Amino acid sequence: MIAELPAGLILVAAGLALPLLPRAARSPVAAAAPLLAFAQLLWIGPGYVLEKDAFGFTLQLVRTDRLSLAFGYIFTIAAFLNAIYAWRVREGIEPPAALVYAGTALAAVFAGDFLTLFIYWELSAVASALIVWAGGSARAYGAGMRYMAVQLGSGMLLAAGAALRYAEAGSLAFEHVGLGSPGGALLFLAFGIKCAFPLLHNWLQDAYPEASATGTVVLSAFTTKLSIYALARGFAGTEMLIWIGAAMTAFPIFYAVIENDLRRVLAYSLNNQLGFMVVGIGLGTDMGLNGAVAHAFAHILYKALLFMSMGAVLLRAGTVKGTELGGLYKSMPLTAGLCMVGAASISAFPLFSAFVSKSMVLVSAAEQGYTFIWLVLVFASAGVFHHSGIKVPFFAFFAHDSGIRCKEAPAHMLVAMALTALLCVGIGVFPGALYAILPMPVDYVPYTASHVLAQLQLLVFSGLAFSWLKRRGIYPPEMRSVNLDADWFYRRLGLRMARALAALLQRLFDAGREASRQLGEAGAALLERLHGSEGVLARTWSTGGMALWAAILLAAYLLLYYADKVDRGFIFLLILPFLIGALGLWADSRRRDDD
Amino acid sequence: MSAEQLPALVVVAPLVAAPVALLARRALPAWMVATAACGFSFVAALALAVQVTSGGAVSYALGSWPPPWGIEYRVDVLSAFVLVLVSGVATVVAPFAWASASAELERERLYLFYALYCLCVAGLLGMTATGDAFNLFVFMEIASLSSYVLIALGRDRRALLSAYQYLVLGTIGATFYVIGIGLLYLMTGTLNMADMAARLSDISSTRPVLAALAFITVGVSLKLALFPLHLWLPNAYTYAPSAVTAFLAATGTKVSVYVLLRFYFGVFGTRIVLEELPMSQILLALSVVAIVTASLVALWQADLKRLLAYSSIAQIGYITLGISMASREGLTAAVVHLFNHGITKGALFLLVGGVALRAGHAGFDRLQGLARTMPLTSLGIVIAGLSLIGTPGTAGFVSKWYLVLGAIEAGRWWLAAFIVATSLIAVAYIWRFVEAAYLAPLGGATPRAGEAPAAMLVPAWILVAASVWFGFDTSYSVQGAARAAALLLQ
Amino acid sequence: MSQDEGRYWLDRPENVAKLYRGLWIVGVLLVLADLVVHRHAEAGFDGGFGFYGVYGFVACVALVLAAKLLRRAVMRPEDYYDR
Repeated sequence: MIAELPAGLILVAAGLALPLLPRAARSPVAAAAPLLAFAQLLWIGPGYVLEKDAFGFTLQLVRTDRLSLAFGYIFTIAAFLNAIYAWRVREGIEPPAALVYAGTALAAVFAGDFLTLFIYWELSAVASALIVWAGGSARAYGAGMRYMAVQLGSGMLLAAGAALRYAEAGSLAFEHVGLGSPGGALLFLAFGIKCAFPLLHNWLQDAYPEASATGTVVLSAFTTKLSIYALARGFAGTEMLIWIGAAMTAFPIFYAVIENDLRRVLAYSLNNQLGFMVVGIGLGTDMGLNGAVAHAFAHILYKALLFMSMGAVLLRAGTVKGTELGGLYKSMPLTAGLCMVGAASISAFPLFSAFVSKSMVLVSAAEQGYTFIWLVLVFASAGVFHHSGIKVPFFAFFAHDSGIRCKEAPAHMLVAMALTALLCVGIGVFPGALYAILPMPVDYVPYTASHVLAQLQLLVFSGLAFSWLKRRGIYPPEMRSVNLDADWFYRRLGLRMARALAALLQRLFDAGREASRQLGEAGAALLERLHGSEGVLARTWSTGGMALWAAILLAAYLLLYYADKVDRGFIFLLILPFLIGALGLWADSRRRDDD
Repeated sequence: MSAEQLPALVVVAPLVAAPVALLARRALPAWMVATAACGFSFVAALALAVQVTSGGAVSYALGSWPPPWGIEYRVDVLSAFVLVLVSGVATVVAPFAWASASAELERERLYLFYALYCLCVAGLLGMTATGDAFNLFVFMEIASLSSYVLIALGRDRRALLSAYQYLVLGTIGATFYVIGIGLLYLMTGTLNMADMAARLSDISSTRPVLAALAFITVGVSLKLALFPLHLWLPNAYTYAPSAVTAFLAATGTKVSVYVLLRFYFGVFGTRIVLEELPMSQILLALSVVAIVTASLVALWQADLKRLLAYSSIAQIGYITLGISMASREGLTAAVVHLFNHGITKGALFLLVGGVALRAGHAGFDRLQGLARTMPLTSLGIVIAGLSLIGTPGTAGFVSKWYLVLGAIEAGRWWLAAFIVATSLIAVAYIWRFVEAAYLAPLGGATPRAGEAPAAMLVPAWILVAASVWFGFDTSYSVQGAARAAALLLQ
Repeated sequence: MSQDEGRYWLDRPENVAKLYRGLWIVGVLLVLADLVVHRHAEAGFDGGFGFYGVYGFVACVALVLAAKLLRRAVMRPEDYYDR
């Protein structure tokens, strides 16, 4: 019976029920629901379709195939790990919002048509904005508003694109779209915003670091990977994606080097990792697509692990600013070790997860002859080790001792991190399990001596570059700062323009208000003079006055009826008595009123 | 009792009950007789409705003189529909009257009240059931005279003046009507309406017939309070005893609408009324003005009962608007709104009667914070108010829906927009009650005696429930109205 | 903090220097391994001796230097957007 429910509904239902449950039951339910959803996915398998007629369309509420299932598996796993990590968070909007967010993202992945996709796309946007707001600070509020505006904007574009697509193709089915039509272009833009394409990316670095310690972990998993799925479904093999993806891998790492907030550093590296997936989708080869999906799978885990470790630091040390941290390995050795597992995973050390996933994209790019792209990707691989693999653990746990002495992370966080770390290493050691669920048959062997050696060389010399620069004092010190990014255009320039416009409007409005006030008052006065309790239309008339109306109406009718029978004498004779009678009554009533 | 006698029985029951109540000379037996008679009529009307739906019109020749020489009682789908409304509301109001009239009237006059009430019911039912134009006049006078007295029974001094003004204007209306009938009798030599219609078809454009149409139109317009002939209505409704207001507001003007429909479509015929003469345009213009002005006037009223009276004038405007469309949708809307507005306004005036019982009158100064002391009454007013506005899920929505449909069908988009826009004025005047009852603090003049007695609340809530029920289940109201509309347009 | 002094191996600068030197040795060994291991070139030129090591080192130095330049352009006080 569970199998017949739309996927994701279990999580949404559990999320909505959460606030009604006793406090002690909430965390177990939040952890059990993803397991149940995972079991449901295993049960239904590929090729399952659930259709329903609504709004005059046949909607495919659920459509499973190997592509959607791969994302479905990792979404449920991530939701489970999040629930363990947030075991102690039982109050407030965040726990239910996290489950609803995961559930709607999951449902969106299994949407077989654009209308269903749109609905879940928007719902997940709203649920995730709640998580940003749950951060609680004034900055979180502002960031949440901007986040919501961007996400809903993406939803609008999706709706408009879907409508155009329906006009073009006569179908709402969510299949391969391509860029060849206006509808396709709008959908591309909608997915691109959610995927944080360059210049459309800043909502990510803006909002994620403002959520709570646990909230950021939840946010990092779903939104962008949903859009990766949507791109893989609708735009596989679109060459523009290769260039967009390459730019995505490269530019965020420069920002990551100079960013002080370590969770924002991770947000930039998230952006950079998405780039690898986008390139894989753009290549569109079996290996490229497999690489994108595998990398998304691995990425959700190690990115969650990194955010979890920084969340633990935020919880215990009260900050994640590079300038204020350092030497925490003494207080939080286990967290430091688990963080380094995440760092090794994102950096694609052999035996760690990204080593077996990211390389598929690089190999495919090289095979297709995109040498420049390949060089950029290798550069970005070195760069990601540089900032995520070294910078984050180094400044938090090593560097100069900040003097902060705190407790080790709480047990439930350590358990969640350990489980996540186990999965990261597990994928790195046994890649066959991951390869088995990829959409295409896999013909790739990650562990060759050549590949291992090349990767180790790259990483070790990247590390050496960091150490050398650091020891020579060239490495830029951490500084408390805000770095301008594309969001400057709407947070600063846009604001200034809006203020100027508002001032102008204010002046116009002031001038217009006086005029309209006078006009409005005159109009209202006229209305009330006519209809108010003493108004001509509302007051009690004298009996004669009332009768007069009857006579007038009768005269009017007769005139109208006989208008074409021109016999004025007859009309006059007919009407005269009534007019005289009515006038008499009127005069009589006036006299009586005067008495 | 056979089906042929039902048209007469519906009318005769309250007609006989009136002298019985008068002879009883005591309140309780008079009330029991009146209630029983109304209930009997209601059952008979329902039976008639079933009969005419399946077997066509029922005709009963009074005194065994066959029509067109004798007086014929003829009930078809439309008249059965109106009979059910009138007798149904009468049956609901009668139990309400016991508590309400006892509080508002002198005890020794109570039996008179019930006798007059029976007469009024009989008059309205007779107007609906008869197939004879002059007999209709007789019943019209019975209903009118009894309602003048009923209004004059109101405890406010101004009730007498209101009744007097209503008497003068009602008499003018009746006179115009009878002049029109006289002209028609001159031309056709018959008083039976069906017979009249058949004989009029050749001579419909002659001057006397046109004069008759004008007289009857103005006469009946006075009775149904069509703008600008509505001036008698606000005071009459405001100062009449609560039960009388509720009954007349729900039925009195509605029966006059029925008479108008009967003469326009059944006697004169659509060809002359709507094609040769600009009647539909005039009716449209008057309806539009009625809706706007009466709604706006309602907005500024200081008394809820008076506010609702003006709202009635606006709602009658919606009904005549539907008639002016002269299409299947328009007539369906008119007939269904006649029904829906009847029960909605009945509910509202009954609830306001409860307020008047506790507070003396229903001025807005007495309503501040009313929801705290009379929660059920306030809630009922809000629900029925929503129906008055035409909120989806209430009876009012169904009628507005068909009106808009009719307007769109006729290609008059501005009219559809107008209907929706004017509903906003209704939102505003209902909001005034919500604001006073729910949002204002408890006022000094607000009654603190608690809810109205159950004998008043239950009938009121039956109508409130009905105004919600017919918002969802439209099988009776809309299908009945659609059949009536089809009959009229034959 | 003083009580921690010396308690941790990493707190002593000479140990950090040891690590640094060790890392260089590992790096050199990895490059030398290129002579032994058959390198399977992906993009054609990456089969060359020590390509990944050189590329990684150069790339990271370039990255940091570029980021320093970037900082001059985009760095603002922490409360920039709050003003």
